[in-house]
Amino acid sequence: MYRKKIFILIAVVMLFSLILSACEPERIVETVVETVIETVVVEGETVEVVVEREVEVEVLRDKEVLIYNSYASDPAPREADAEIVEMFMDEFPQYDVIHSTIFHEDFKQAIRAYLTASTPPDVLTWFAGERARFFIDNDQIMDISDVWESEGWLEDYPAGFRALSSVGGNQYFLPTSWYWWAVYYRVSVFEDLGIEPPTTWDEFIEVCETLKANDIIPITIGTKYRWTTGAWFDYLNMRINGPEFHIDLMLGKESYEDERVLAVFDAWRDLLENDYFLEDAAAYSWSEALEPFITGEAGMYLMGDFIRDSLPPDVIDDLDFFRFPIMDPNVPIGEDAPTDGYFIAANSQNPEAAKAFLAYLGSVEAQTYNAEKLGRLPTHTGVDRSMFNEAQQKGLALIDGADYVAQFYDRDTRPEVADMGMNVFMEFWDNPGDTARLTQLLAELDAYRIEVFGLE
Amino acid sequence: MVRLRRNFLPFLFLAIPILIYIVWVIGPMFYTFYLSLTNWDGLTTPTFIGFRNYQRLFNDSVFFLSLTNNMKWLVSFVTIPVVLGLGLAMILNRAIPGEKIFKMSFYLPMVLAMVVSGLIWGWMYHPRGGLINNVLVGIGLLERGPGWLSDRSLALWSIIIVAIWRQVGYVMVLYLAGLKSINPEFLEAAKIDGANDWKVFQKVLMPLLMPVTVIVLVISVIDSLRAFDLVSVMTRGGPANASSVLANYLYIQAFNNYRMGYAAAIAVILFLISLVFIFIYLWQVMKNELEY
Repeated sequence: MYRKKIFILIAVVMLFSLILSACEPERIVETVVETVIETVVVEGETVEVVVEREVEVEVLRDKEVLIYNSYASDPAPREADAEIVEMFMDEFPQYDVIHSTIFHEDFKQAIRAYLTASTPPDVLTWFAGERARFFIDNDQIMDISDVWESEGWLEDYPAGFRALSSVGGNQYFLPTSWYWWAVYYRVSVFEDLGIEPPTTWDEFIEVCETLKANDIIPITIGTKYRWTTGAWFDYLNMRINGPEFHIDLMLGKESYEDERVLAVFDAWRDLLENDYFLEDAAAYSWSEALEPFITGEAGMYLMGDFIRDSLPPDVIDDLDFFRFPIMDPNVPIGEDAPTDGYFIAANSQNPEAAKAFLAYLGSVEAQTYNAEKLGRLPTHTGVDRSMFNEAQQKGLALIDGADYVAQFYDRDTRPEVADMGMNVFMEFWDNPGDTARLTQLLAELDAYRIEVFGLE
Repeated sequence: MVRLRRNFLPFLFLAIPILIYIVWVIGPMFYTFYLSLTNWDGLTTPTFIGFRNYQRLFNDSVFFLSLTNNMKWLVSFVTIPVVLGLGLAMILNRAIPGEKIFKMSFYLPMVLAMVVSGLIWGWMYHPRGGLINNVLVGIGLLERGPGWLSDRSLALWSIIIVAIWRQVGYVMVLYLAGLKSINPEFLEAAKIDGANDWKVFQKVLMPLLMPVTVIVLVISVIDSLRAFDLVSVMTRGGPANASSVLANYLYIQAFNNYRMGYAAAIAVILFLISLVFIFIYLWQVMKNELEY
């Protein structure tokens, strides 16, 4: 009995010490200018003099706590993300950033719960474009025009990125990095077979045939999480029908039952029926489908530049990319170049600290670090372009040569339409020959588009 | 005073669990009913739209596909693991060498978290490097192994097999407990009366095991209706909804597509289906209680 009491006592003491340690404010050493009255002896006379001097005082003050939720969950971006937070706290010791990294897919699912909570995270990572627009329209994102103004971003960021962040003349979003999509290939595989990177569709088909004839899977892809199919739809649609039609389709202004959409599936069907893609693609995530690419069993992968994060160094040395082949030279060139960035939650409890952090994230310093570390392209024009590596220069040229830049299938259209659309792609993938089923699927998808965009 | 306290005290003790139950179970349940009549997207204020979600639901082919998949799951769950589990229990109920090790190894899958089972089996089903396909190709049975989880006709069954693999050991343990509680004199009496093994099983054991069977069936039904973890980990309902079940579909609608109202309607339907089986179970239990 006595023993039990002691245990309870210990438990209580431990609990209290935990609570106390959690409550204890962190000490910050600050330099304070103090006014002191000093007694000085001047020539035998005692005089009181008022002196101002700088003293280092240990001030007992709470650091300003800032909550930052990030979806940078892949190993390399995660490391860079943590490093940026450290750099910020070193520079501004008055802030204490509580940094949580959430698995990418989970983050997307939880974000509405984060934003509507009574104490939302102050700063969050997010996608520019329609996905951010939705939150802006619903008053979940704080207006940060003042930060854009005071940091000089209005001049230092290209007009395209400013437009991407603005609604009604005010800025809400901070775009910090972007990357390009392209067809990646193994240089050694292409060299061994004497293949030149294709520029036209016919050349591309030829490359696929050559690879297939040599027992190499022409194109690897992992469709378990479906979005990789979105890239194929984006590119085929932009190459066949042009970016204008594509973006109108994304915005719900064009119909999925349009004949032009069917033409996309016709081209896609050719690729599928000729077995150019990795078999059983639906069994792999995008990164699991890298395996045959790494071993050299597969030749090409249509992917964003983040492919680099998941490849071993020797493969990166053997990696190159080319623009998704042109199918019709009369059609303007559209490219996918998704832009990532940050915003402050509208209900942020600590907007001043959040703005300070955002200002840092948008600074040349932070962007230079990310560009160097991850090879993404920075948005700030102040970042020295001469430090870009070869791949970055090439990617930049790829996008500079485009007539239109889209974000990505599931970023350009409404999430629920994208979800159904990607299911259509998956079912089509499974049985491309069944045109009657495809017509039916597209009819259902279009009915849903009309409903979601409120066009009834 | 003492009597008052005696009458009052049980309610005081009950108050806390009841309060928790109301806040965490009953409340959300009614809230879900309400949400199913709105178009809530998780962000804006819900607006009341009557039974529109339900109307839509009954025209939604994916909903019916998921429901059918749940039914396939249910039918295989109330048959295969029950028969296998009972068979194993009958075999392992007698003193055979190493009986404990067998019991343990059959029960072990149940100890693993669903997610872990799903991941491990996901690797085994891997079309190129997985154990199953390598064995099938290795012994020359197949030229090329199938894509277990990527083939639309195989995906659901590949997942159900994993669920059954887990469930068999559990059912076995329940039946073993049931068998232990049976008075051996009944069996002896039957033997003396000249009944063969099959007759003993059919006329003596099965009726005595009836309460266990009811519990096993109800657990199987409920487990198959709330199937989610394995599907979510192994295929996410894919490819193209081929292995979707209701719980997974509602999860995707709620957290991927942010259609909370619609997802709530699916939840209500799932709840109503479960309710039928729960009533059957309660009715069975109550009936038995009254007999004693």
